[in-house]
Amino acid sequence: MDKVIYTEREMSLIDPKPGTAAAAARDFGIDLSLTVSNLRLTPEQRVKRLDGFQAEIKELRRAVNSSKRNGRDRASSEATR
Amino acid sequence: MAEIAQALKLLADFEVNCVVVGGVAAGARGSTQATFDVDVCYARDQRNLVQVTQALRSVNATLRGAPKNIPFILDEETLQRGLNFTFDTDIGSIDLLGEVRGVGGYAECLQNSNEMELFGYPFRVLSLRELIASKRAAGRKKDLVVLPELEAILEYETACKSNSSGIDDKI
Repeated sequence: MDKVIYTEREMSLIDPKPGTAAAAARDFGIDLSLTVSNLRLTPEQRVKRLDGFQAEIKELRRAVNSSKRNGRDRASSEATR
Repeated sequence: MAEIAQALKLLADFEVNCVVVGGVAAGARGSTQATFDVDVCYARDQRNLVQVTQALRSVNATLRGAPKNIPFILDEETLQRGLNFTFDTDIGSIDLLGEVRGVGGYAECLQNSNEMELFGYPFRVLSLRELIASKRAAGRKKDLVVLPELEAILEYETACKSNSSGIDDKI
């Protein structure tokens, strides 16, 4: 796997100085390496990525709900047997 | 095409004058946080209310979170009487804001926005500074959790901008 090379400016997000907003975000739990990779994209690419992510989560939710429903249906039919 | 793309395409196709705000704007500005609806601040002149109404009718918009027995007629008059609306539509959730807390109405949002091309259409997108102001003013937990990343991006963009003179671009 290729090593990612960060610019000096990007390093201010990856390895922030104490007291900066980036340091506060990192301490809050934000993975700023993901933010850096997002900032390398154009705004359109970022929103497309967001759109794809949203679609995947909705699909996942649908699958989980469908699985729960099937589980309930199975349990209910076994109980009536 | 997923929901964000469809919602933005709808607004563009019906030539709705609006500024993209909320989670999609945050995403366009670099935030990695997920969002599940499209929020826009819309112009409230008569022409635009007609465009908004036609756009929303075309995707069978209904009020989100309102009891089903409350009658709601989607027309210009109803939009004129209200301000902020949250809709469920055939293509996902669309929130129409006449006013964005911490920023103001359409004119203020427009003034504090940049044009960005999204899904092939030109859109005005709220600036990072005003996004932060709006999230802070909204003050809900879901707004507050995105603030640290937005503030880090603002700090980064401000540092980048100060190194590149002559660029007239709102952050």
